[in-house]
Amino acid sequence: MKLLTKSTLLIATLSLFLFFFMGVIFFQVLKNMSISDLNRELADLKEIVVGYLEEYKADEFNSLPGIDSLSVQAIGRTDQAVEVLGDTLMYDSKDGQFKTFRYIQFETESKEEFYQVRIFKSTNPTDKLVERVTLLMTLMVILFLAGIFILNRFIFASLWSDFFVAIEKLKQFETTKEPVILGEQDIEEFDELKKVLEVMTRRLAKDYRDLKEYTDHTTHELQTPLAVIKSKTELLIQSKNLGAAEMKCLQAINTSVNQLSRLNSTLALITRIENRQFTEKEEIKLTGLLDRHLELLEEHIDLRGIKVDKLYHDRDMVMFMDQGLADLLVANLLKNAIVHNIEGGCIILETHPGSLQIKNDGPPLRFSQEELFTRFVRDTRRSGNFGLGLSLVKKVCDTYNFSIDYTYDKQQHTFTVNLTD
Amino acid sequence: MQILIVEDETSLMESMVSYLELEGFRCEKAADYHTAVCVLDKHDYICMLIDLNLPGGDGLELVKLARENQSESGIIIISARNTIEQRVEGLESGADDYLVKPFHLSELVARVHSVARRTRMKGGEVLSFGVISVIPEDHTCFVNNKQVELTRKELDMLMFLMANRNRVVTKESIADYLWGEYGGGYGSYDFVYTHLKNLRRKLQEAGSPDYVQNIYGIGYKFSLDQSP
Repeated sequence: MKLLTKSTLLIATLSLFLFFFMGVIFFQVLKNMSISDLNRELADLKEIVVGYLEEYKADEFNSLPGIDSLSVQAIGRTDQAVEVLGDTLMYDSKDGQFKTFRYIQFETESKEEFYQVRIFKSTNPTDKLVERVTLLMTLMVILFLAGIFILNRFIFASLWSDFFVAIEKLKQFETTKEPVILGEQDIEEFDELKKVLEVMTRRLAKDYRDLKEYTDHTTHELQTPLAVIKSKTELLIQSKNLGAAEMKCLQAINTSVNQLSRLNSTLALITRIENRQFTEKEEIKLTGLLDRHLELLEEHIDLRGIKVDKLYHDRDMVMFMDQGLADLLVANLLKNAIVHNIEGGCIILETHPGSLQIKNDGPPLRFSQEELFTRFVRDTRRSGNFGLGLSLVKKVCDTYNFSIDYTYDKQQHTFTVNLTD
Repeated sequence: MQILIVEDETSLMESMVSYLELEGFRCEKAADYHTAVCVLDKHDYICMLIDLNLPGGDGLELVKLARENQSESGIIIISARNTIEQRVEGLESGADDYLVKPFHLSELVARVHSVARRTRMKGGEVLSFGVISVIPEDHTCFVNNKQVELTRKELDMLMFLMANRNRVVTKESIADYLWGEYGGGYGSYDFVYTHLKNLRRKLQEAGSPDYVQNIYGIGYKFSLDQSP
């Protein structure tokens, strides 16, 4: 979830809760205030009615200004001067509806007579007012929230812009491997973070460069001694007076030095790919490339009795890449499919629009799938392999932003290369 | 049959000299740029082997100079520089072939022969060995003057063995020479054996003796002399 979405959601939920409770309290307080207003009004009216009863007979008035409804009943003598305040529903013949009224009921004595008086006051106008005020408040809250959202966006964008710029710059580190310069702003925490990141990337870049130089130099410097060992071994083999034991030794040396020189040249190749020294872009037809390599590998395929099935669903697929890297990619994928195949196994080559799939029979991996494209991870059952082929493939894929996936199902390894970046 | 070798690594130089002298070549040695320039006109070389990293100067300049002086000689660059661009640059400066270090001496000899053939003989030459003769230009092979149908690979293998006659050639060198980068790393070199077996069968069916000897599993020897 994005930071902005997360913070907006948090603000929204929290303020909704807050405003809900505040709204309830506000409504209650307003309601109570209006009721006590009505009560005070009714108490005033009570004084007026008592005054009237002093001067007039009870049946001489049944309505007074400010009173919605009035009932005055003569009752027998009473000792208690009880005053009751309450709410009631009464039928309003004007609207044909029941309406709520606030009333005051009291008993009073006038000219030796006792009356029970009830004064009614409609709550309608105050209710309406409370309703309107509440509605208005809700509207205000909604507007306020909307304002907060918009403000939040602006504040967020301006406060965090530096942060996002830094992230974008850091993303480029993966490809350029150059130290990232993030600059300073006036937010202390970000500046601190950026400083730490700058130091980190500088060190990473240096380590990367050192390692590359080291491999570069080592592979180069190894070539001459290797050439010497190789040639001396070959000369020794020519000696007339060598026995079987000596020859066996020489064979072991010969095999190892050949392996070593192959390893060396492969490492040099990986370094060159990492240094981006393959920059030509050519139009290469995938099916043509596959066919050419299959022909070159014919001997190896025949020797192990491997059957090759070509399922070219897309015959015209064209890639734009360096010829050397395209060769490396296909050669190493095919090599992998041959070397890790079973005797008399099968290789299936499929081309689909935008992707290449290479399947081969074989026993499951002896290591985890994640390590498959790592250098020097290999099946230890086979000697003479360095586990560099697939890491070469990965390097080529990385160069062109191709993705490569591996699956294993029903005794079959499948590599899928997505040839669109 | 003079060959000029320009190489600053003495051990490697000695190996090359020993192996080439076994093949009947005579070698002129130069360990740096200036010595090389001095001996450039000393003989009429059949082939010049030039390293690119030299004390005192750039090997590529030497190649250009050698090309001007001795247009009839073959030039093979032997270098640790291994990129396509560097190879192209080397060939464009006038070299006939480019061999990357570390290399097999047997491969060097085969290439010296092939370059010498191309530059000196202008093709049209017949290579013969016992009852076998090969015309490299037409890619044809004869046993007792009767043509034998060989595949391209089998013919190349035969010519490689003929160039390294009486020497032990390793399976790896045959694989590297014929299959290049597709030779090694496939678990075994049995395909070399399979190809060689086919070649031997075809030659024997045509009436040739079997000139190939197995040498302790390390490689093969192509020789008229049947004793190991």
